[in-house]
Amino acid sequence: MSLIQLQNVYKIYGEGRENQVNALDGVSLEIDRGEFVAVIGASGSGKSTMMNILGCLDVPTYGEYYLDGVPIREKSRRELELIRSRQISFIFQGYNLIPSLKVWENVALPMLYQKIPLAQRKERAMAALEQVEILSKADSRPTQLSGGQQQRVAIARAIATGSPVLMADEPTGALDSKTGTQVLSLMKELNAGGTTVILITHDNSIAAQARRTVQVRDGHIVHDSVWDGVLVPAVGAG
Amino acid sequence: MNALIMALDSIQEKKGRSFLTMLGIIIGVTAVLVLVAMVSGYNADITAYYEKLGVNKVNITLTWYDRTRAVDVYDAVYTYGNETLGDMVEGVSPSATTDLPVKYRTTTLDTCTIYLGSDQFAACNNYTLEDGRDLSYYDIQQRSKVCVLGSYVADTLFPYTDPIGETVYLSGIPFTIIGTYYQKDGGAEDSMDHMISVPYSLNRELLQSADVTAITVKVDTSDHVDTVLNALDVYLAELVSSSVGEYSLENGNSAMTESTEETASMSVVLGGIASIALLVGGIGIMNIMLVTVTERTREIGIKKSIGAPRSEIITQFLVEAGILSGMGGLIGIALGFGLSLVLGKAMYDLILLPSALVTAGAFTFSVAIGIIFGIYPAVKASNLQPVDALRAD
Repeated sequence: MSLIQLQNVYKIYGEGRENQVNALDGVSLEIDRGEFVAVIGASGSGKSTMMNILGCLDVPTYGEYYLDGVPIREKSRRELELIRSRQISFIFQGYNLIPSLKVWENVALPMLYQKIPLAQRKERAMAALEQVEILSKADSRPTQLSGGQQQRVAIARAIATGSPVLMADEPTGALDSKTGTQVLSLMKELNAGGTTVILITHDNSIAAQARRTVQVRDGHIVHDSVWDGVLVPAVGAG
Repeated sequence: MNALIMALDSIQEKKGRSFLTMLGIIIGVTAVLVLVAMVSGYNADITAYYEKLGVNKVNITLTWYDRTRAVDVYDAVYTYGNETLGDMVEGVSPSATTDLPVKYRTTTLDTCTIYLGSDQFAACNNYTLEDGRDLSYYDIQQRSKVCVLGSYVADTLFPYTDPIGETVYLSGIPFTIIGTYYQKDGGAEDSMDHMISVPYSLNRELLQSADVTAITVKVDTSDHVDTVLNALDVYLAELVSSSVGEYSLENGNSAMTESTEETASMSVVLGGIASIALLVGGIGIMNIMLVTVTERTREIGIKKSIGAPRSEIITQFLVEAGILSGMGGLIGIALGFGLSLVLGKAMYDLILLPSALVTAGAFTFSVAIGIIFGIYPAVKASNLQPVDALRAD
């Protein structure tokens, strides 16, 4: 059974026939454990909407999303909180660190919601910061860091949380190509360690680093290809 | 703990705005404390006034329809009170007063309260002899033209000399001064020390009336007042036939009780009005918390995306609202104590402090208001969809 399964998912914004926008227009997709998938598409193609739904930050208007074989629609709000806390980590283009907290506190915050004791939280946060080579900044505030450093803190947060799924929405979008490459190689390391990585980007060169590429346009999946370049027909595309 | 630190950080970050937010609560708590303290000061003032007048009294009022058949009730009550009820009664005196000018040589006091009393007048009215002697039973019987001066009259007419043995004129009648009373009410012109007592038996000369229509019976303790009152009721019922006259009895302490009860209900009304200020303060807190939620929508989104439970978000905002209003409450308490001290000194010359109960109540109420009015913004924050919250700038 796939880890992630979207079945004919629609996400519709706006009300009334004229204002209605189908950000996702009947998408079906399966992702297995341990995959490294790049979702590529132009701005407005629906790729971010797809990530929000996959990450349980948003719910589909129609269609079903199975995570680990269980339909998300049936989850209570509390269960969704637990999924976000334990199953899925995010990396965003805008880093999304909390400015009032120190770097290590940002990294340790998700573990607070998992009710892990403080000593252990700090230990794991420090280990994660070391892994992304930014341990020296542990006591700084996020605003004192460069963009690349902040993104590495965000990755450390995902590492420390220990979630099996990492979702990254344009993680290199605000970075120069050198730091972008560093961030990508960190994500590849995580994937090598068993983490399922879903990378959302508009940049073909970034997407090319992934083993599998899913191309989205106007709310549809138009291509779903694996790393060897062989095109496979998208499920439900047409 | 975490929520507490974050709330303090956020309040400290915006000191000015936090203070303005608290202002409503500060004013409300201050107003409640000061009002309650002032009412208790007013009560203490009233009680002190009644105590100076003398407490534990039974007041008898007599009305005659048929003066030809009027009996001398006063003498009978005097004897009955001093003999039969002697264990509980400290004194019996007519209560009659008039205002007259007092003349000594070339000096005249324009108006002075003249008490027409018995030899037990001082006991009944809480005066204490300082010098000379008091009115005696003999003075009453003989209708001696003697008088005892209150301290204001003695000090004003005889600043340098001993008044005893001197003569003052009331309505042109010469009175020999036989004694003086201690000051009991500050000794000023408008005080209870501006008085003279004379034998009541001179009422024909001074009041142009031979009747005693009001009698004061002084009782030793407040517990005995009702017993004495009931005994007198029985006694008078026999003495005063309903065809010739009427009598009524009153517990002198009831006037004091009534007025303190009145101020108690007044303080409830005033406290209620002041609590409205607290409510308005709570609405202020709600407004600011709503603004804070909007400002921190992105932070809420981040927290939700990394798995923060709703309860965490709610707690964070409730704690912040509770701390805001609690701090407002503490500042209000400090101001309330200060203002009570200043106003108490100025208005009643008393050291007035709000009671511990009222203080604790006002503080609890202010924190509760903060939390109650914080609920809506906190729930609103916790109900944000993570994706919407993340989209905010």
